[in-house]
Amino acid sequence: MLLEVEHLTKNFGGLSAVNDFDIQVAEGEIVGLIGPNGAGKSTVFNLITGVLPVTSGRVMFDGCDITRRQPEQVARLGIGRTFQLNPLFHEFTVLENVTSSFELHPYSSLFDIFFSTRKYRRNEAFIQEKAHEILELVGLSEEADELAKNLAHGHQKMLGVARALATKPRLLLLDEPLAGMNPGEIKYSLDAIRDMRANGMTVLIVEHNMQILSLCDRVVVIGFGKKITEGLPGEVRANAEVISAYFGADYVC
Amino acid sequence: MNEVMNISPAVEESTATGETSRTKARRWPGMSVVGALFIVLALLPLGISGSYYMHVLILTFVYVAIASSWRVVSISGQFNIAIGAFMGIGAYAAAIPSVWLHWPPWVTIPLGAVAATILGAALAFPFARLRTIYYAMGTLFLGYVVINLITAGGKTTGMSTGLGGVQPLFGDRRYYYYLTLGLMIVSMFSMYRFEFSRIGVRMKAVSQSHQVAASVGIGERRNRILAVAFGSFFAGLMGAVYCHYQGVASPSSYGLGATLWIIMYVLVGGINSFWGPAVGVGILMVIPEFFFRDLKGDLPYVTAAILLIIAFTMPEGIVGLLKLARDRVFARLRRKEVDLDASGG
Ligand SMILES: Nc1ncnc2c1ncn2[C@@H]1O[C@H](COP(=O)(O)OP(=O)(O)OP(=O)(O)O)[C@@H](O)[C@H]1O
Ligand SMILES: [Mg+2]
Repeated sequence: MLLEVEHLTKNFGGLSAVNDFDIQVAEGEIVGLIGPNGAGKSTVFNLITGVLPVTSGRVMFDGCDITRRQPEQVARLGIGRTFQLNPLFHEFTVLENVTSSFELHPYSSLFDIFFSTRKYRRNEAFIQEKAHEILELVGLSEEADELAKNLAHGHQKMLGVARALATKPRLLLLDEPLAGMNPGEIKYSLDAIRDMRANGMTVLIVEHNMQILSLCDRVVVIGFGKKITEGLPGEVRANAEVISAYFGADYVC
Repeated sequence: MNEVMNISPAVEESTATGETSRTKARRWPGMSVVGALFIVLALLPLGISGSYYMHVLILTFVYVAIASSWRVVSISGQFNIAIGAFMGIGAYAAAIPSVWLHWPPWVTIPLGAVAATILGAALAFPFARLRTIYYAMGTLFLGYVVINLITAGGKTTGMSTGLGGVQPLFGDRRYYYYLTLGLMIVSMFSMYRFEFSRIGVRMKAVSQSHQVAASVGIGERRNRILAVAFGSFFAGLMGAVYCHYQGVASPSSYGLGATLWIIMYVLVGGINSFWGPAVGVGILMVIPEFFFRDLKGDLPYVTAAILLIIAFTMPEGIVGLLKLARDRVFARLRRKEVDLDASGG
C-alpha cells in the first residue's frame, strides 16, 4: 500500500471531526472519498499532509510513518495536494505559480541559487520548459503570463492541479476539483484525471459530484468522521439510497 | 503525465528564473542608470572637497544598504520593527571588543555582522510563528528589549550615554567613503541575487500563502528565518562600520526612531521596488542635507507630509511612479512602431 491511514482521529474541542477512520490507497489506484458536508473529508486531507496535528492514529506513506511531519516535509516525500478553497500565489503569474512549485525536482541548493551555478541555470531552464508542458496539459498555456488572481474560477482550479503536479507527486490528493466548474470545464477535468490514471498516477479524490465515481477504482464513504462503507463505484452507487436515507437526500448526485 | 515529469534536467539554456526577455525589457533603463550612478559616485571624491558632504554621502551609503536590507526581509511578509536594534547589535558587538579588548577593526566589523546574523536567526525562530501585525508588534517590543539590555549593560556598554573610544579604521574620510560605497555595492548586489532568484521566489511564495507554499515543499519557518538572518547581516555590518567611523556607539541611534526613519525611506521610495529604499534615502537624506539644511528641525513634519502625499498619490512609491512613466513611454513607442508598420507595409 502506498498510503495507509489507521485509526485516524481528530478532535476540535468537543467535536470529533474524524473518528477512528481508516483508508488505504495502493500504487496506481484512483480512490474516491465521498460524504456529506462537514463529514470530515478535508480534515482527513489536512491530517495526512500534516497541516493539522492528529489527535491519535497513524499515517503511513510508502512504509514510512509520516504522522507528525510538517506539511513541507510531506510534500517532499511525494504527496501533492490541492485545497478546497483553492488558494493560489495570487500575485504570481500562472507560469510563476507552476515554476515556484518546482521546489523538489530538480532541487537547487542555496549555494547553487545564490551563485547562479551552471547546475542552477540548467535546473531553471528545465523548470521553465516543464512548467509550460504542465500548463499545456491542464489547458492553461494561453494564460501563462496572466496574473493568477485574474483567472476565471474554473481556470484557477486547474492551476491548483497544475501546481500540485509540479511537485511530481507519487500520491495526489484532490479536494473537490470539480466544485464551481461549468460543464465544459468539468468534462475537461474528468479527461485530465483520466489521463493521470492512464499514466499510472495514484490519486485520492474528495468530490460531491458523482460523475467522478466512474473514474474511481474504489470509493470510501465517510459520515460524521467515520467510515460508513467502502466498495466499487457500482456497489456504492447502489448503496447510495441507504446512505441518502441515512444522511438526507441532498448529498449524493 | 509521468513521462512529462521524468526527463532529467539536461537542457542547457541561458534563461533562469525571471530572466526572460520580457522581464529584461521591464528592467530597462534601471541597470544602466545604476551603473552610471556607481561610476559617478566612485569619481565624486575627486570633485568634492567639503568633508561635510563626504560625511552625508557616507551616511547615505550606510542607510541605503540598511533600508534595502529591511525591504529584502519584507518580501517574505515580515515587517521587522526592530531593524534599528539589529544595527545596534552589530555596532555594540564591534564596539565592545574594540574598546575593551583592543581588537582591530578588521576583526570587530565582521564580528558585528556575524553577531547580528546569528542573533537575528535565533530570534527569528520563535517569531516565525507570528504573522502580519502580530509579527510587527512582537518585533517592536524586541527592539525595546534590545535597547534596554544595552543601556543596562553598565560600564561595558556605556549605558545610555553610549560607548566612546571605538577605534577608527582610517585617518582620512575619503577611505571611509570608498569603504562604505564598496560595501553598499556588494550588499546591493547580494540582495539583488537573493530577491531575483529562486530564493526570492520562495520568500514571495511564503508571504502570499504559507499554506500553499508548504504544499509544494517551501517551508515557511525555514525561509522566514533565512530572510531575517540574511537581512540582519547587512544591518549588523553597516551598524558596525558606521560605529567605527563615528568612534562611538550610542543607544539612541538604534531605537524606534531609527527604525521608523528606515521604514520611511522604504515607503517613500517604494516598498515593491528593489531600488525603492535607495531612492527613498536619496530623497529624504541627501536632498535635505544638501539643499534645505535650514529646515532640518522641521524634517519630521516635512517627511510626514511627504509620506501622506505619497500614500495618496503614488502608493507604489517614487520608483513605482517612475516605472509607470517608463511603461507609458514604452507603450507610446510601441504604438508608433505599429503605426509605422501599418503605414509602411
Ligand atoms: N480548524 C477547525 N477548527 C474547528 N472545527 C473544524 C476545523 N476544521 C474543520 N472543522 C469542523 O470539522 C468538521 C469536518 O470538517 P471538514 O471540513 O473536514 O468537512 P468536509 O467533509 O470537508 O465538508 P465539505 O464537504 O463541506 O468540504 C466540520 O464540522 C467542521 O466544522
Ligand atoms: Mg471539505
